[in-house]
Amino acid sequence: MTGYELVRRPSRGSVVIAGAAGSFAVAASVPGGPTPTLLALVGVVALLAGVWTARHRIVDGGALVTFGGVVAAALSSAGAMSVVFGAVATVVAWDSGTNAVTLSDQVGRGADTGRVETLHALFSAAVGVVGGGLAFVLFRVGPTRQPVTTLFVLLLAAAVLVVALNR
Amino acid sequence: MSDPDEAADATSETVDSTDPTDPDGGTGTTAPDGGTDTTGTETSAADAATGGQSGSRDRSADVREPATVRSEADPTDTEPADEAEDGSGDAASDLTVRSVTARQTNRWVGVAGLSFLTGGLGVATSTRPLLLAAVVGVTYLAYANVSSAPAPSLSVFREVSDSMPEPGEEVTVTVTVRNTGDRSIPDLRLVEQVPDALSVVEGPARTATALRPGAAVAFSYSVTARRGEFDLDGLTVIVRNASGSEEREYDVATQPTTLTCVPPVDATEEVPLHALTSPYTGRVATDTTGAGVEFASVREYQHGDPLSRLDWNRYARDGSLATMEFREERMATVVLVLDLRPAAYVQSGEDGRNAVERSIDATHRLFNSLLDTGDRVGIAALSEADIWLPPGAGPTHRAEARHLLATHPALSPTPPAERVYVRPALRMLVGRLPDDAQVVFCSPMVDTAAAYVARRLHVRGHPVTVVSPDPTRRDTVGRTLASIERSNRLSDLRASGLRVIDWTDDESLYEALERARRRWSA
Repeated sequence: MTGYELVRRPSRGSVVIAGAAGSFAVAASVPGGPTPTLLALVGVVALLAGVWTARHRIVDGGALVTFGGVVAAALSSAGAMSVVFGAVATVVAWDSGTNAVTLSDQVGRGADTGRVETLHALFSAAVGVVGGGLAFVLFRVGPTRQPVTTLFVLLLAAAVLVVALNR
Repeated sequence: MSDPDEAADATSETVDSTDPTDPDGGTGTTAPDGGTDTTGTETSAADAATGGQSGSRDRSADVREPATVRSEADPTDTEPADEAEDGSGDAASDLTVRSVTARQTNRWVGVAGLSFLTGGLGVATSTRPLLLAAVVGVTYLAYANVSSAPAPSLSVFREVSDSMPEPGEEVTVTVTVRNTGDRSIPDLRLVEQVPDALSVVEGPARTATALRPGAAVAFSYSVTARRGEFDLDGLTVIVRNASGSEEREYDVATQPTTLTCVPPVDATEEVPLHALTSPYTGRVATDTTGAGVEFASVREYQHGDPLSRLDWNRYARDGSLATMEFREERMATVVLVLDLRPAAYVQSGEDGRNAVERSIDATHRLFNSLLDTGDRVGIAALSEADIWLPPGAGPTHRAEARHLLATHPALSPTPPAERVYVRPALRMLVGRLPDDAQVVFCSPMVDTAAAYVARRLHVRGHPVTVVSPDPTRRDTVGRTLASIERSNRLSDLRASGLRVIDWTDDESLYEALERARRRWSA
């Protein structure tokens, strides 16, 4: 009487979803040169390892390193397009990764979770596209004459507004 | 209007969003339901009920009777594709929410911090792309904050392949959960609360999906049936919003689907008993002389002795009349006493049955064989719950005992929560035992309290036979010690005149009885 054993780790599909998003992040950091690319690649590998072994800390750390790669690409004068794209891809990879870890902790590997995970990643990507589009609209038609600090303060104000509205 | 439901159930899969023309459970008709899903603990139960009605309303729009949740009939009608052939163990949902916990997962806090850092870095280094990345971060922050986890309104339908399985049989349970509300649930996680005693042998009893209004998800798992009565009625429902920033966990009680598993009638060979008997004719040979089979003695003829017992040989020899005496065979009254103290729930090794399970099995067999041999048998237990079946005979009595042993909650394979106080339990038991009753005590004898009970019963004039399933092993020093302690305890009991049947894990009860009988007759 051995019974069924619940494996509380994400399935291969979860890793594939996170890996797909992560590969976009790596691709987006290529214009920054070899160092940012390598950084992003290491981060994505760590993130995937974290997803496979169901460890939140490693997923977070991997995502941070990946994002570091994207930031490094931006600092070595990569284009705005690829930086925004890389940021979105990093967030989607991280989001689907941590979601998969939580999900596997609650329902286990054997359950059919592909649908809900794909949906989650799609939502996340859609929000990223909207956010990226917004950013580009600001970039093109926004008040480019303003000092950069003003923009940052506006951004901060928007964030505070969003949080305050929800309280 | 109704065919999307059928399609959903025929495949027993989620109704997914590939069908844009789907009118999906009457989004136009569920207006009264819309306001109820605010926040809430108890409201969601009511929500579930009203949701069910609205589900029915789109089938027959003019029936507005709010009496029952009719939509639960749908899965039964449309289930034929499923492997469950008889819908005997079906249960419509009548949900009650036992507890709700809502929590913020705080997943996006890191993203918020990171986006401000990025923005700051962009300002410091005058890098415009970084500022744009920060805008993306703030968008995600908005995404996490604007939505909250929906209060679901669900109907749950559970079906078992066989509600009266034999022990060891695999039973497939199919759980169908339908979104009866008018809002989509982006992230729904369902965890079936399988009773502890049942072990899941196939498939996780869990699933996760997203459900549109009117859509359903089904998942199934298999359990190995064990003796007992089990209620499948618990479901943990976890709902998240799309961003996963908020989570609600509901502990839901549905209408129970009962799984009753009664072992078949099964008797061992004759059980050796002590010579304490009732005055009725039976099969235990006593030292009392009279009518019987086994010759005992010859005595002087007394007026009225039956002719059949006259010693005619002697009369032929010298003409004197003598009467032969035989050992009388009488009926015994036996009470089978189970040791259900938490200490008795021990087992050898990781898997296998614990000593109480084996004791109950032994009780079952002994009961039937004693009844077959014409004795009066009763059942009692040392437990917190009151278990008492007075000695009796006949088919009704047998059925009663079978039912009691199979389904009494205190006889489940899992240990009880509270401890059992031995002395009051013993006093109660002694008070109930008929004077001429002897006791068969089923206990693993792993502590002194069990030996105390056996000895007390014995000195009170109820001869005790101990049937002791052996839970010990000798693979480590500590276990060897425990094993030796137990066998010493059994030897002490034997020395006090009790009969002890030491029943090891790898032999059948019949073998153990035979071994013991040889020892006693020698």
